[in-house]
Amino acid sequence: MFNRREFLKRSSLLSLAPTVPAFLANTARAAEAKPDDRILVVIQLDGGNDGINTVVPFADEGYAKYRKELKLPTDRLIKLNDEVGLHQAMGDFGKLWETDRLAVVQGAGYPNPNRSHDVSMAIWQTCSFDPQEHNTHGWLGRALDQVQRPQDGSPAAMLVGDEQPPIAIRGRRSVAAAIDRIDEFTLPESAVTSKAGPDVSANDLTSFVQRSSVDAFATAERLSELAAKPDAGASYPNTTLANRLSLISRLIKSGFGTRVFYAVQSGYDTHAAQLPSHFRLLRDLSSGVFAFLEDLRVSKLDDRVTVLCFSEFGRRVKENASLGTDHGTAGPVFLVGPGINAGLHSKTPNLNNLAKGDLKMSVDFRQIYSSVLSEWLEIPHNMEQKPLDLFDA
Amino acid sequence: MKAYEPSGHSPWNVQRVVHLHRRAGFAATWQEIQRDLDDGPDAAIDRLLAGKAYATGVPEDFDTMSRVIGDAAVAANNPNRLKAWWLYRMIFSPDPLTERLTLMWHNHFATSNLKVGDVSVMRRQNEIFRECARKPFGELLTRVVKDPAILIWLDADSNRKQHPNENLARELMELFSMGVGNYTENDVKQAARGLTGWTTKNGQFRFVEQYHDNGEKEFLGKRGTFTGDDLLQTVLDHPATARRIAWRLCDQFFGEGALGEEAIDEFATELRNHDLDIRRAVETILRSEAFFAAKNIGTRVLGPIEFVVGAVRALEMLDPPPSTLVLSEWTARLGQDLFYPPNVFGWSGGREWITTRSMIGRVAFASELARGSLRRPDKPVDVAKLSKYVDGDSTHEALAEFATSLLVPVSSKEFRQRICDSVFAKEDTGDLTCRMFEAILASPEAQLG
Repeated sequence: MFNRREFLKRSSLLSLAPTVPAFLANTARAAEAKPDDRILVVIQLDGGNDGINTVVPFADEGYAKYRKELKLPTDRLIKLNDEVGLHQAMGDFGKLWETDRLAVVQGAGYPNPNRSHDVSMAIWQTCSFDPQEHNTHGWLGRALDQVQRPQDGSPAAMLVGDEQPPIAIRGRRSVAAAIDRIDEFTLPESAVTSKAGPDVSANDLTSFVQRSSVDAFATAERLSELAAKPDAGASYPNTTLANRLSLISRLIKSGFGTRVFYAVQSGYDTHAAQLPSHFRLLRDLSSGVFAFLEDLRVSKLDDRVTVLCFSEFGRRVKENASLGTDHGTAGPVFLVGPGINAGLHSKTPNLNNLAKGDLKMSVDFRQIYSSVLSEWLEIPHNMEQKPLDLFDA
Repeated sequence: MKAYEPSGHSPWNVQRVVHLHRRAGFAATWQEIQRDLDDGPDAAIDRLLAGKAYATGVPEDFDTMSRVIGDAAVAANNPNRLKAWWLYRMIFSPDPLTERLTLMWHNHFATSNLKVGDVSVMRRQNEIFRECARKPFGELLTRVVKDPAILIWLDADSNRKQHPNENLARELMELFSMGVGNYTENDVKQAARGLTGWTTKNGQFRFVEQYHDNGEKEFLGKRGTFTGDDLLQTVLDHPATARRIAWRLCDQFFGEGALGEEAIDEFATELRNHDLDIRRAVETILRSEAFFAAKNIGTRVLGPIEFVVGAVRALEMLDPPPSTLVLSEWTARLGQDLFYPPNVFGWSGGREWITTRSMIGRVAFASELARGSLRRPDKPVDVAKLSKYVDGDSTHEALAEFATSLLVPVSSKEFRQRICDSVFAKEDTGDLTCRMFEAILASPEAQLG
């Protein structure tokens, strides 16, 4: 872990400043996770993930019946119990399962399922069925409106990627930002900076700006070091999602006050030739999330983080004629991290008891959100749905 | 407000001229500063109010150029080009005060294209801000609130007799006029009822009778079958509105600790007695003793737009200017993305402009601007040209003093010494004078104005 004395000795910027940069004070606190230090990372699986081929009900006779071409070989699945197993590409999620860091909520959906990508995604992001509320504020934005903004001026929520901040993290008061590259936080090599003035402890505006600049440069230097010399165990696969998770990890390690991070993994709308692309997507998802957690674990920060993976709907039970699947209804939601109540939650969808060819939902997704807000982030909310006991006490 | 008279403890000097331009414009060039120094405060302020403050770099066909650039952005429905259009105006308009007030109103009526999704609608709103910037506030409020941008942004169309949507009513009262604490939740519900029927069609305001709830309402203690227009008038007449607008103007032109609550109260009363006339209010502020007092100098954090546009003008990087598209990316990176305020509260400003990301960004910007990589082809600060403005010898100290007076509102010999030490102490590997400008622009002290 990072040596504080070494840093202070080497940094000429600090030679005249009596104050300690905020992040150094923060890392001392990181040892023990307190409610207001907990972080949520949401990974949105864009396009409608085929839950049946992700959390496979291999013991259900409906699986072989409806999935003739797309049926995954039972012996290659990563068994979670004697009824369901994970897609064989998800070896890293298997490792998380074995170490009690994976929770699978089965059959998550909502009443009167909507099969439009935009509408269903808006429902998941806003918890509202009223289209007029689909472009205003989202479930996380509203929650973050209830809490104080991060003291260091960081946004309350950050999308990492090149998309616009999704409605889920937009609130009335809270600030959501998007960031694409780490170089927004690194000083150019050649930048000229002068030493801080003699008295930065006063509260007048000049002292405030001087102190802030010392803080900022210290953080930039910290981030550069993290980039140059990654901690052991932090070897990320070379995928877009993993790059985004890696950036999130560096921000967390640098003590940023942001509590909610959001990333999008696209490509799940597998109407045709599903097998190869679904394989790659699930492999990238599990390997990326695994590397992320391992990275944080080495820095002893993983107990502060939970990852939530969801998709706007599952897919139809019966495969189509193009070796793919069409838009469906309920699907699995994953929660990952040391703080979760590991295991399978809610009922495995029954492929023989369908609603017009689609899975019946086992649990309302809003109960998952309710758990996240009440039990993990500990933010007051007015969701009516009861939490699901998804986190360790 | 007591009027400003140059005196021993508040002389009309370079510092005050720079201060005037930083607050009422973006930044003056050295020649503009000298002109105003020679002509005195009254003439300098006259020029700002008349829209003739900037001379350097102002193209003869500015209005035409601006219209062409704006129209092209709208035709392409490209929001980034709209941002570039506005930055073009801020850098090259002879009337920076109007652009500052337009920016202030953009923040006051914070509307984001993320939801509106239509560049022509955003431009139209922007032009309303510009046109009505100094009119009596009632006129501005009425135009803005009945313009598609706000109506779309605040779900006016969903606000119907059968199912009211309180968004427009709430923000009208909390943010655009009276401010929180001056009305009840019931007032918001009643106001929402009064505003039913306000919709847009084909990019125009349209009142739809059948959506309108014309029942009796009780609003701010009065009873009646109020329409939206009635509500607007009631809200404009309320003293809290004058107070909030007074606060908004003082927030714009005064810094931390410069003006007490009582002074703002008095100013609010005066505003109210003059029909909330913004032009008169702005003039009163600019000509006031409080505006030029030492405790109002260097006491605001320069917002990203002010910092970026101010640097470009002060350093006379106008021929060619940096790409306005690139500049708009920079202001977004520093936390102020034009046409995309973070939420309905706009940009809070003040100390909140200073975050880790934005401080790093400001240093990185200073580096790229000074070295010239924001211009095509690369063209750093024209140090030779700027050095000619320095009287006498071009020693390091004299140059540092000149550069500091351009870029830093309150500096000291000690500050200049620190700058010279960090820059000139290094081996002579290039144009260190240019590095000096960069170091000053990147310094914490230069983030204030």
